[in-house]
Amino acid sequence: MTPVRLDRRRFLEVGALSLAGLRVLPSLRRAGEEVVVRLRADPAGSRVWFEPRGVAILPGTRIRWELEAGVHTSTAYHPDNARAPWRIPATATPWDSGYLLEPGRSFSVTLTVPGVYDYYCAPHEAAGMVGRIVVGEPGAPPYFPAARPEWRPLPQAAAHGFPEVATIVRHRAIR
Amino acid sequence: MPFNARFTIRPITLAAAVLLASLSLDGTALAQEASPAAPFQKVSALVPLPDFVPGLGILYVDPGTLPAGPFLAYGRDGRLVSTVYMLPLATFERHEGWAGLSAAKAAVDHVDVVYNAGHPGVAEPHYHVILWHVSREAAAALAR
Repeated sequence: MTPVRLDRRRFLEVGALSLAGLRVLPSLRRAGEEVVVRLRADPAGSRVWFEPRGVAILPGTRIRWELEAGVHTSTAYHPDNARAPWRIPATATPWDSGYLLEPGRSFSVTLTVPGVYDYYCAPHEAAGMVGRIVVGEPGAPPYFPAARPEWRPLPQAAAHGFPEVATIVRHRAIR
Repeated sequence: MPFNARFTIRPITLAAAVLLASLSLDGTALAQEASPAAPFQKVSALVPLPDFVPGLGILYVDPGTLPAGPFLAYGRDGRLVSTVYMLPLATFERHEGWAGLSAAKAAVDHVDVVYNAGHPGVAEPHYHVILWHVSREAAAALAR
């Protein structure tokens, strides 16, 4: 897990919000900040992953996926993306980075709608390379609409690859 | 994208390697030149992959043989370095096999069997069975 570092001003902000009874974790980033998720692979291409694979942010935070090694995508689970199952908030806009081929290349989205966002790497979904972002207060499950026949099923490895929402919220970032 | 590294060989993949390594290389003669004739095409022109894949080289394939191949791999100097087969795990799980796979008409120096989590073109976990036509040292140099 990523260590939490708070400067004095941020500490006071969080403390004030907590005293006000708001459920704001000290780990959540401020709106307008950027969080980087690295797309990684070992030298053999046998192990592939997002790092962190689970992250909690505030609405308005920008997420940037940066290619470290291998060939990857960041693709939202949404029927617009190859009939993928719908696993982002109903009013959120899906994304697809397309293939990132050269190390250092990146792709960004700013997430404003609270909820749970699941995404995958197109060539590695079957190998379980998926990630989850929790934006603001996710509410209670179910987080996504029920599966429809026209949507393709989740590969087994992908279905088991998402960190629990509560765990992400508690720890802020899950590697 | 680096695809090539040694690993601990599992029985099922060892069986596949032995099978493939024992195939007659007198089958379809595949080109040893840098640009094999049609129907072979450069893989980077078919799917989003770099021209030179670290660990393997410059790949060519007949699209009609996907996903297994053979893929013909060439070094930067235009020399044929390997014949590669990409065998999805799912086909092993279905107890399917391959017969009569073509290979380059070149001596095999050694064989690597390498697990790969997937890449454009073969977007599922699979094994690379690599018949190297060059020495271990020359093969290792392709990783750079």
